[in-house]
Amino acid sequence: MARNASPARLVIALSVAGVLAVFLLYTSIAGGGNPSLAPSELAGRTGDVQLAGLVVGPVRGDAHAGGLRFKLKDISGDSRGSVGVLYTGSVPDLFKAGRHIVVDGELRRGTFVAEPGSMITKCPSKYAPKQSGDSA
Amino acid sequence: MPELGRAALLVTLGLSVYALVAGAAAAHMGRRRLALSAQNALVASFVTTAVAAAVLVAALLRNDFSFTYVARTTSDALPTAYTISAFWGGQEGSLLLWLLILTGFGAMAVRLNRGWARDLIVWVVPVFAAVSTFFAFLVVAVASPFATQAAPADGAGMTPSLQNPYMLVHPVLLYLGYVGLTVPFAFAMGALLSSRLDERWLIATRRWTLFAWAALGIGQLLGSHWAYVEVGWGGYYAWDPVENAALMPWLAATAFLHSVMIQEKRGMLRVWNVLLVILAFSLSLFGTFLTRSGVVNSIHSFTQSSIGPWFLAFIAVTVAVSLALVFWRLPQLRSPTKLESPVSREAAFLYNNLLLLALCLAILWGVVYPMLSEAVRGEAIVLGRSYYDFFLRAFGLPLLLLMGIGPLIAWRRASLRSLTTTFRGPTIVALVTGVALLFLGAGSSIPGLVAYTFSAFVLATIVMEFARGTRARRALGAASWPAAFGSLISRNRRRYGGYVVHAAIVMLAIGVAGSSAFDRVAEAKLAKGESMRIGDYTLVYRSLDERASSNATEIRATLDVIRGDRDLGTLRAGKNAYTIEQQVSNEVGIRSDRLTGEDLFVIAEQIDADGSVYFRVFVKPLVNLIWLAGLVFLIGSMITLWPDRREQRRLVARAAEVGIPATP
Amino acid sequence: MTLALVLAAALAVACVVAVALPFIREPEPESDDLADLGQGEQHRLELLETRDRALSALKELEFEHRTGTVSDEDYRAQLGPLRRDVAAALQALGRELREGRPPDERN
Repeated sequence: MARNASPARLVIALSVAGVLAVFLLYTSIAGGGNPSLAPSELAGRTGDVQLAGLVVGPVRGDAHAGGLRFKLKDISGDSRGSVGVLYTGSVPDLFKAGRHIVVDGELRRGTFVAEPGSMITKCPSKYAPKQSGDSA
Repeated sequence: MPELGRAALLVTLGLSVYALVAGAAAAHMGRRRLALSAQNALVASFVTTAVAAAVLVAALLRNDFSFTYVARTTSDALPTAYTISAFWGGQEGSLLLWLLILTGFGAMAVRLNRGWARDLIVWVVPVFAAVSTFFAFLVVAVASPFATQAAPADGAGMTPSLQNPYMLVHPVLLYLGYVGLTVPFAFAMGALLSSRLDERWLIATRRWTLFAWAALGIGQLLGSHWAYVEVGWGGYYAWDPVENAALMPWLAATAFLHSVMIQEKRGMLRVWNVLLVILAFSLSLFGTFLTRSGVVNSIHSFTQSSIGPWFLAFIAVTVAVSLALVFWRLPQLRSPTKLESPVSREAAFLYNNLLLLALCLAILWGVVYPMLSEAVRGEAIVLGRSYYDFFLRAFGLPLLLLMGIGPLIAWRRASLRSLTTTFRGPTIVALVTGVALLFLGAGSSIPGLVAYTFSAFVLATIVMEFARGTRARRALGAASWPAAFGSLISRNRRRYGGYVVHAAIVMLAIGVAGSSAFDRVAEAKLAKGESMRIGDYTLVYRSLDERASSNATEIRATLDVIRGDRDLGTLRAGKNAYTIEQQVSNEVGIRSDRLTGEDLFVIAEQIDADGSVYFRVFVKPLVNLIWLAGLVFLIGSMITLWPDRREQRRLVARAAEVGIPATP
Repeated sequence: MTLALVLAAALAVACVVAVALPFIREPEPESDDLADLGQGEQHRLELLETRDRALSALKELEFEHRTGTVSDEDYRAQLGPLRRDVAAALQALGRELREGRPPDERN
């Protein structure tokens, strides 16, 4: 009876351990991900980060030649901490001033240099909160 | 008319609360008429929700902008089909759709099973009612579709990227899937509450689970196809939290579908199955919470909404209560049958479950990590694509291999000799394929090569199974080979339908491996007349045209496509500039090769004033296998879902043997 | 506006009727007890399930032997135990039906 019960439990335990080992392997090799910051939090940060904010015009330049230049400010409206962004690569359709975007890159000498092609724009609100003035 | 909508939803809420309270009381005290009354309330709540839905649809169809929801999601110029799809396009409407499907499924599930599982149904009714009470409460008090305003001249319109046939189907299918998972959950909870821990709850819900799972799967594939052709960044899955929101419950449901088979055949894993169904249901709620609440940065997610906390609270309560129920019934749930050998079909299914869950939890971890790290460290840390790709390979590749091993390994205990005999053929096929592909250059991506090799193995086992089965039926006296094949499938729908689904997953794996591990990309800025090379294609940029359509200006660049010395025709790519919505959309050009399933994918990224265009071009090998896999998946699911008269009769006979009380 | 209210009222009334229907139909029922599975019936159901499970395992072994998934050797090895399972299930069921009492639990 004992011989029957043990292989199963042992095997399951080993399998679970195997799965956890895979997790551990990944985190030790690849480390954690990148911090996601708002423009006002960016000052002085080094290394790769993800920046999330609102696009502030004017938008100048060419993303495929020399780079697109624009400013990014906090979503919560405060434009004091806005950051200049230099972006190259694919520009999503929905990109324009006033859009909420997310882009990866690092701060280099005061400008956020984006990783090429890393921009994601958010779909304009489908599930927006209720506007004021609605009844019920 | 909005008053009718509001009133109908209020009645729905009242009926749901009644069904919950009266149903629980009736089940606890054993009162027949009260139980029936609660059942009727559940059915009636579907009718009232349908009335509310009809009011909203009518308002949409007549462009009644005094309904805030209608004004926010449609406009006069919007084509009728998309006006109808606006029903589920916004927060409030989509919640109403959820409630409609929920009450509909509840009414159906309860009515269909009341004959032979009455003692189980009395407890299923209050559980279902609890879920519908939550959603009814949301649409009555938190996010009502029937808010009104002074009607503006025109509505805000619908985002152009949502105005396509996919959006008519994809969200509905996903909802059918999410809500469908409520049925096995409610029956599981009903079984725990009533202490009816026999197989009936499983048997009653098997087709519901299959249906929900199939709907979720096909819904996701449609969404991927939409992303591929409409959004057009060159990919079909971005590991976006909202995409993951549908994938996670699907993975959990896949695990559940498999482990249920073990419970049916061997009576094992009863606790495991209940836990899995709780997980699948919770993940479907969690997924919709993610989509609506705005707590994660996502391409789909939306501004902070008040609905988030309600969902979170409901999920927390659901998980807590269901786990408590499991713990309460634990002694009765424990099954006496033990796993006999780590090399057996039961074990293979267990490994399958383990891998599916590991992948599901890895994705879940990736999704919640930003929220957790923000709470713990004050900083949201995002895990990128490489994280998900790693775990997809780490867990997905062994899963792929298991698909070929599981169905062919013996129950209880498989001897080494039988393994060698059974798997000799497929292993040889796989090795030959692997070596051949290596010579063809597939060594450039080891995971890709492994995926191909494993796929060859699994396909070989599936073909072998069909061949051997057909031969066996022929030997039994079938009239002809086609007849043998047909009767094989019709008499063993679950097994062979399952094989067809496995074949679909293999096709999916091949398509994904080909288009992601072996794809090519090239970029160039071309003036008219200039050309670019990618792989063995040459593209020549010929002309740029502009055309006005009913609601947009369409700009298209035309390119000649040449491969080697053969002219393959032209391809057009460009952009649409929508006048009212003030938005631009990418319109990609795709040339699909019928023979190889390869796509030449052209994006006109930037169109300059001087007529030169910046092109980004992909060659995606085998990508069309992914969409074909969807079709095969549908066929396989339908085979397994097909009603089985013989099985029905057996169940009814068994119920009669026990003397289960008949319908009133 | 009034049409909406009339329809709403009608809907509400219809729902109340639907919910009250069981009580309206049977104001003085013979028994209002929810016919439920007693201990004995529940046990018999589980025995039936065990029997059906054993029978289908046997059928599946036959099928897989015929298609070649299970070798002759393995088939012979498994046939005995599965047949014993079916016999045991039928025996337990027979005992239950004769005595009307659940047999001794061995677990």
